[in-house]
Amino acid sequence: MAHADEAAVFNKDEAKVDWHDKALWFVRQKRDKSAHNVKGWENLRDLASAIKANVLSNLDGYLLQFEENAQKNGVTVHWAADAEEHNKIVHSILAKHDVKKVVKSKSMLTEECHLNPYLESHDIEVIDTDLGERIVQLAQEPPSHIVLPAIHKRKEEVDVLFQEHLGTKPCNGDPQYLTSEARKHLRDKFLKADAAITGVNFAVADTGGFVVCTNEGNADMGAHLAKVHIACMGMEKLIPQEKHLGVFLRLLARSATGQPITTYSSHFNKPEPGKEMHIVIVDNGRTEQLSREDFRASLHCIRCGACMNTCPIYRRSGGHSYKATIPGPIGSILSPGIDLKKHSSLPFASTLCGSCSDVCPVKINIHEQLYKWRQVIVKDVPQPVVKKTVLKIAGSVLANSKMYSFVGKSSRFMLKHAPRFLIYSKLNAWGKARDLPEVKNENFDEWYKKRKKNE
Amino acid sequence: MSRESILKAVKKNKPESLPLPEIDLSFFEEEINLVETFIDNLKFVGGQAIQLNAIEAMDAEIKKLYPKASKIVSCVKESTLGTISINKDTEPHGLEDIDLAIIKGELAVAENGAIWIAESDFTIRALPFITNDLILIVEKKDIYLHLHHVYEAISKRERTFGVFISGPSKTADIEQCLVVGAHGAMSLTVFIV
Ligand code: SF4
Repeated sequence: MAHADEAAVFNKDEAKVDWHDKALWFVRQKRDKSAHNVKGWENLRDLASAIKANVLSNLDGYLLQFEENAQKNGVTVHWAADAEEHNKIVHSILAKHDVKKVVKSKSMLTEECHLNPYLESHDIEVIDTDLGERIVQLAQEPPSHIVLPAIHKRKEEVDVLFQEHLGTKPCNGDPQYLTSEARKHLRDKFLKADAAITGVNFAVADTGGFVVCTNEGNADMGAHLAKVHIACMGMEKLIPQEKHLGVFLRLLARSATGQPITTYSSHFNKPEPGKEMHIVIVDNGRTEQLSREDFRASLHCIRCGACMNTCPIYRRSGGHSYKATIPGPIGSILSPGIDLKKHSSLPFASTLCGSCSDVCPVKINIHEQLYKWRQVIVKDVPQPVVKKTVLKIAGSVLANSKMYSFVGKSSRFMLKHAPRFLIYSKLNAWGKARDLPEVKNENFDEWYKKRKKNE
Repeated sequence: MSRESILKAVKKNKPESLPLPEIDLSFFEEEINLVETFIDNLKFVGGQAIQLNAIEAMDAEIKKLYPKASKIVSCVKESTLGTISINKDTEPHGLEDIDLAIIKGELAVAENGAIWIAESDFTIRALPFITNDLILIVEKKDIYLHLHHVYEAISKRERTFGVFISGPSKTADIEQCLVVGAHGAMSLTVFIV
């Protein structure tokens, strides 16, 4: 199904869509407040972008440097060309230690590689320990957002899910009670796990160390209790030097949730005596993306989720409608690089308003890349009827790249000048009979209170 | 192993070398009250700050704040409240029912309310996470403006494991409602001396 059709499924529950839309906009506003508090915010973004560009331009050198330093610290480094090899490597480490129970903290990479089903098929229990991820794992769904995995679920749904799987009492979705029950349930899993798998937020070439950021403390509870710690990272997670963490950690949480920093920013360098630490460096299409001049900046992404929270399409169509591990604007420029045909509708799931590029802490030109993918797709992939119509109406502006840059490189041009019915066409599920979400004067708190009153 | 083929592909596909930028700290300097800003941010992230004139007053404060705590690990000589002693060989799973851990913070960051602690400060890596409540002690002189300064200050350390902690463990994964006490410590109290 194309994105618009998937979005139509999500749009069946109007109240939920409204909630989803406003909840994410609220997160976006928190991001703004937090960013405005930082002197030199734009300088930080410039720095982050330039550091990442430098990393990509010397990636092989940094990878080797990182490997050498990590090995000196007693960490075992593995390399995986694709998802399958990644899964095999992880499994072989676990098999060597006869591991039956694994706890895993958030890692979009292991989602991308479909590690859980692979390990489960080898009789290994994998428990996702981030609360949002545990919720979607119990619901047998993929995360719908990279930072807020269960943002598509209402609290009443979580209540029912926990009654069924954790034996909780009905509580009208009381978040406090549900969280405390999840704490008990997962505490037990941490204590019994033989191995812990974590993601990597940043890997530092000049020290061989890596940093994992969480608010819940789940990565640490897993990694420090189990005998074996496996950290899985996409190869683009490298940064040159430890001092660059100062730049990225200042940007990450503020962009993600508006917090000044995550509760825990854990710096792993050496395994404890008697324990093992492994790092799996994964390519899985990244070197190919690196070769695409127009799209390689997508590898700057630090997975903060800000582009999702701000995107009018994402907010009203839900993460699942993208049918990709990374949804939203950034997902829509990464996914076509992995499977152009399957994901050909994603670059069209955008108004090209440019809000994503405005908030991106590493200054990825997301909306321009979306536009460039459209050009590739129009040439190479037969289009579903809806989008053909869109393109026909959009006429020369969309189809002619010279003219596009002539109108000032800003794709806001489209939003301003394209006919309303193009952007909010009935044919577009995410725009159905609606204007851009009007939430300027009502913050989430107020909205939430009002909603409560009306219940 | 795919190491060689990956490295080869990267070499082939990477763009021309681009320079690594210098971090110009002048963009980020601010004249602010470090202690006040730190306390404000600590509150914002859900922690509480208590300023002490003398470290000797700490134990009495702790008893007031955590009257029921009985299993206490103190990693500082300034507190005599410890009831459980740990060493390098302590099995971390055995710390599961610890009520309180008291740890000396090495540095603190005004801009985000975070405190840096390293393995040598708490011996068992799991301790600051597995404890029910956490107390960190910070000296005023160790509060820095922002992370850039702090990374400079910790650049000479022996690197094993270290962590910035900013507030108690928390989650908002159920309908964006903030709940304190996810998997790590349920509360964080910082004594500033
Ligand atoms: S593309 Fe930018 S805004 Fe989107 S998740 Fe990545 S870093 Fe964040």
